[in-house]
Amino acid sequence: MNRWRFRRLSSRNLLYLGAALLVLQAAFPFFWMVSTAFKPAVEVFAQPPSFIPHHPTWDNFQRLFTATNFLTYFWNSLIVSGLAVLLTMAVSAAGAYSLTRYEYMGREKIAGLILCTYMFAPIMVVIPFFILVKKVGIENTHFALVLAFTSFCLPFTLWLMRAFFKTIPVQLEEAALVDGAGRIRAVIYVVLPLALPGIIATSIFTFILAWNDYIFTRILITSDELKTLPVGVQDLFHSALIDWGLIMAAGMMITIPALLFFVTVQRYLIRGWGAGAVKG
Amino acid sequence: MTISPALILILALTLYPVAYSIWLSLLDKHSFFPQERFVGLENFFYLWTDSEFWSSLWLGVVYSVWTIFFQIILGVAAALILNESFMGRGLVRAIVLFPYMIPTIVAVILWKWLLNDTYGVVNYWMFDLRIIRDPISWLGADHIMLSLIIMSIWQFFPFVLLSILARLQTIPPELYEAAKVDGASALRRFVHITLPQIKGILFVVILLRSIWMFTKFDTVWLMGEGAGAGRFIRTLPVYAYMRTLTYYQAGLGAALAVIMFAILVVCTVIYFRLFREEADIG
Repeated sequence: MNRWRFRRLSSRNLLYLGAALLVLQAAFPFFWMVSTAFKPAVEVFAQPPSFIPHHPTWDNFQRLFTATNFLTYFWNSLIVSGLAVLLTMAVSAAGAYSLTRYEYMGREKIAGLILCTYMFAPIMVVIPFFILVKKVGIENTHFALVLAFTSFCLPFTLWLMRAFFKTIPVQLEEAALVDGAGRIRAVIYVVLPLALPGIIATSIFTFILAWNDYIFTRILITSDELKTLPVGVQDLFHSALIDWGLIMAAGMMITIPALLFFVTVQRYLIRGWGAGAVKG
Repeated sequence: MTISPALILILALTLYPVAYSIWLSLLDKHSFFPQERFVGLENFFYLWTDSEFWSSLWLGVVYSVWTIFFQIILGVAAALILNESFMGRGLVRAIVLFPYMIPTIVAVILWKWLLNDTYGVVNYWMFDLRIIRDPISWLGADHIMLSLIIMSIWQFFPFVLLSILARLQTIPPELYEAAKVDGASALRRFVHITLPQIKGILFVVILLRSIWMFTKFDTVWLMGEGAGAGRFIRTLPVYAYMRTLTYYQAGLGAALAVIMFAILVVCTVIYFRLFREEADIG
């Protein structure tokens, strides 16, 4: 009896140890980023390093906002990601509705085809995309970037929205139709309110994908005033002496929006229907 | 039909570019100027004799195999831990997923700072604990692949964790209770109950992760940028990018992308042949 209790206890402890290690490996790099971002230049390079800044300062953030184009990049990221979400969601909500509500030839084939495009990694698409964009003459525009993000996000938003519409009983719409509502009214008053949580969650996933993109922006955008955050911040590295305090402050400012959005959707992710919602 | 806008966009923005890259791979084309010349399979013949191509293929395989292996092991182990109930589980789950949700550029600057040879906290600790005598140059020729692999595992294993955890939650608890009553040990419960249940999702996760690691560009490129030792982690996707945008040989770049895709298709077919029945998914 005693031995048994001891073993139970130790497996419990093992569990806590495992959980603690998991948290530590995930959180420590972020903690270190935040800590460095608030250190004055001298302390950044101090040996031994201090975990909590002895002389915390906003200096790095101040320089980030005044001496670099950070705010421009931030604004660009916001606009491009936002537009990509609008376009992707409008198109994929309409598409997913059709895939779950109408019967037609090849419907399942289309769904399969959409899944297949998961196979085309960005690096395979971006080279021809770049050449084509130059041919059309829209290189170095946010428009090209929005299209690129849409191409990247669309397959998986369609897939997610399809899964989501499937969970909304079709009888509800039929009841509305019987009551004399037109198809459009039925969609607006019956389907959309029910689909709203799914639409919001999917939008946020799309936003995070677009917000995090590096490769399309690197290749399609050349002028500094059009760059988004990941590319803009990478270019901060190009100075002779790397200003780690400044870079960590920038890293923090990019991470915050992504994490805020993530926290709002993470319960969907972990509950399971979002397992197909992540890409990369 | 409301599906048509989506189909048109997928056709125009994904399938057409991919088809166009096959055409592009048969051309001698400068990345910026409009001139182009049809050269047949010349790009592929050139690559066959190109030692840089073979080394990038090899580095890509090394990178993918190691990162996938550890992602799967760690992902499954972490999922098993986070599927148990304990206080603060929700918070722990969220924190563990963080690294997967942040932009790659952030992951890279975090790790470059942690691994900095002079001021990095990793070298400081290893020195302090007397594991090393001299600072290790983590981003130098000898260690950059190791650093890249560690960083990539850190960034991407939460995807495995997430997928497996979602599946674990759907396993009926009665199965475990019955096994416990029969006196099955934790290991036996894992082998005989958990493993058969997660086989299907494991099959899909390994496939997706393999595709994504083999074609991973941003993590590898950003890690190698400015490190001086970048050529020691020049994997196939990075090489394709460099051919296109450093040497301006769009034809060669496209040929590399086509080769990458062909390798993926062949491997996927073999993978399906070997494991599909075992994984028991339709």
